[in-house]
Amino acid sequence: MGDAGIEEPMMNGSRASGTAVPDGRPVPAGRLVILLGPAVLVVGLLFVGGLVLGVLQALGYAPGQGAASLTVEHFRRVLVDPELFTSFALTFYIAATSTIIAGLVSVALALTLVSLESRSRMVSFLLQIPLTVPHLVIAIAVLFLLTPSGLVARALSSLGLLAEAASFPLLVNDRFGIGILAVYVWKEIPFITLMLLAVLKNMGKELLEAGATLRANARQRFFHITLPIITPVLAASGLIVFAFTFGAFEVPYLLGRTHPLLLPVWSYRTYSDIDLLARPEGIAIGLLIAAIIIIAVGCSQMVLTLVRYREGER
Amino acid sequence: MSNGFSTIREIFGRRLPWWVGLSLLLVGLVVEQAWAQVLTWDEAVVEARGQTVDWYMWGGSPAVNAYVNGYLARELKARYDITLRQVPVKDIAEVVSKLVVEKQAGKDSGGSVDLMWINGENFRTCIRHNLLYGPFADLLPNQHYVDWSSPTVANDFGTPVEGMESPWGSAQVVMIYDAARIPEPPRSMQALLDWIKANPGRFSYPAPPDFTGSVFIRHIFYHVGGPAEWWQGDYTEAELQAAADATFEVLRDLRPSLWRGGSTYPDSPVRMNTLFADGEIDFSFSYHQGEASRAIHDGLFPETVRTFVFNEGTIANTHFVAIPFNARDKAAAMVVADFLLFPEAQREKAVPEVWGDFPVISRDRLPPEWQQRFADLKRGPATLEDSVLQSHQLPEPPSEILIHLEQGWEMQVLKNR
Repeated sequence: MGDAGIEEPMMNGSRASGTAVPDGRPVPAGRLVILLGPAVLVVGLLFVGGLVLGVLQALGYAPGQGAASLTVEHFRRVLVDPELFTSFALTFYIAATSTIIAGLVSVALALTLVSLESRSRMVSFLLQIPLTVPHLVIAIAVLFLLTPSGLVARALSSLGLLAEAASFPLLVNDRFGIGILAVYVWKEIPFITLMLLAVLKNMGKELLEAGATLRANARQRFFHITLPIITPVLAASGLIVFAFTFGAFEVPYLLGRTHPLLLPVWSYRTYSDIDLLARPEGIAIGLLIAAIIIIAVGCSQMVLTLVRYREGER
Repeated sequence: MSNGFSTIREIFGRRLPWWVGLSLLLVGLVVEQAWAQVLTWDEAVVEARGQTVDWYMWGGSPAVNAYVNGYLARELKARYDITLRQVPVKDIAEVVSKLVVEKQAGKDSGGSVDLMWINGENFRTCIRHNLLYGPFADLLPNQHYVDWSSPTVANDFGTPVEGMESPWGSAQVVMIYDAARIPEPPRSMQALLDWIKANPGRFSYPAPPDFTGSVFIRHIFYHVGGPAEWWQGDYTEAELQAAADATFEVLRDLRPSLWRGGSTYPDSPVRMNTLFADGEIDFSFSYHQGEASRAIHDGLFPETVRTFVFNEGTIANTHFVAIPFNARDKAAAMVVADFLLFPEAQREKAVPEVWGDFPVISRDRLPPEWQQRFADLKRGPATLEDSVLQSHQLPEPPSEILIHLEQGWEMQVLKNR
């Protein structure tokens, strides 16, 4: 249920950005229904159905256990829990930080790759490798590499660079979630970069050459030509990544601290509690995550529309 | 409650006839379920042929997995034509949750879980929510090797077993240390607590509700809250609260002296063992008497690793297997549960290089030649003598206390509220 909640807004985000460059061919409504019907049906059934079931359970509807009355008590208990703020802040910090770092690196990387041109095919092939590796695998790799008794620490201490393995800085299960950030940044850079590359390659050189003849320096060309062109894609892909990171479970589960927990881990912990009465609370937290993601996606879509509208006016 | 019902009625009002129909259908299914009888042993053996048993169990131990997928799977195929499939899970509570969902959804047959390795709080949850098939354990022929008069077998964390689960093995907590690092370990809980404070950062325990972490909390509970026997009988809510608060006080006090200043905990005994093997911490502990020997055999621990029990004793219990109410292959699951108690299977399991789990069958109930075979079993270098272990056993507290302690730990020790 939680997963479905994360997928949906992502699809919205990417679809909306795809229509930013319309190809001008109107598709008849009937054909559109046939084309989109199956997908909408599946998403509707699984996602909306799951959501409805989830809401019912979060409202305490559990006929198997004799609880058949609806109550907002579970939502209330989650909302008044002081953990909620800590947990939300931590989740937001992880999602936002990793997205921003990945975004910045990706812009630099994409620009470099476009200017390399001839070699970029090889590099974009390399870029696709991280896309296929599951988050879980990277998380475990990070665990083996970066713990104070991990490979890196051992290599350093055997080279005499560290007094002892224990003096290695804490990078996993640490306060700032460095291990978690490392995994997400590593996974997200290729994704955002590939999205940007597509736009940058389409853009061609003409605009930049025109800028150059008008004596715009490199900085001005970047801020006044390149950046406005890549902004919608950058924003859209950043948003997908943010939404995914915000709702993802396995990496913080493996690399996070016992406390405070990220929202998805908290939701899972509560849901799988041996005390079955804690279940609705777990679902309530999951629904909160879904709501936050949906709101985030909605807000950014509004901002993007506003930007596009202004551009159109000019 | 009545308010709630009226709300539901408002919501489903227009579709009420449809709901009534569905409810009648469900009632029908329940009635049919009540009519279904538990299979007799003879029926089970015949029906079991060719069935596949999906056994959901904790999959964190390579030794256990090897025993199940190797010896057990091979023998069951050869003897009964049963295919045994191990489904490893991190925590059997996940499976219990799954069963609850299936119960809610009315999936009363054809469930994917045929057998589960279970005890304590999970067993209690299953009994409460009627998630088990049975009573079946009394029907198994090999049960006569089990001494049911022993309270640790007849009760599972204070919940009467009553044939709803079948015993598989017994376990006792042992402390693990490396004699090369610490020649003379602290042999009582008080001595251990003093040692931890004197050596900050060198001790940790898995965060409850992990099973192994949670048993450490219970040792502290017995240490500050009074003798183990006392908690088996009648105690008041206030007495429990007072003892639990004292326990959390000790743990909070201990926290700054733990690994990484108690800012985080290992998430599992496997992780704790890794930290121990890597020299990040100086102790590990296990709810398995033979685990340290096993780890030495696997090359995970150095040869100098040894175990000890506290002078005041360590907690011991029996672990069981149970069959879910909606298991697809109940007959074969019964046969598997029976085979687990077969002397040869119990002996194989007790071999240190295989697993080193302690037999649940009582030695005096075996034929003389089997008694001898069990007596001849060699133990691993780090495993204590049976006599030492058995004279230092404490019973598990009722699972209400366990749940109270786990929840309290999370609030008071982890979150410090």
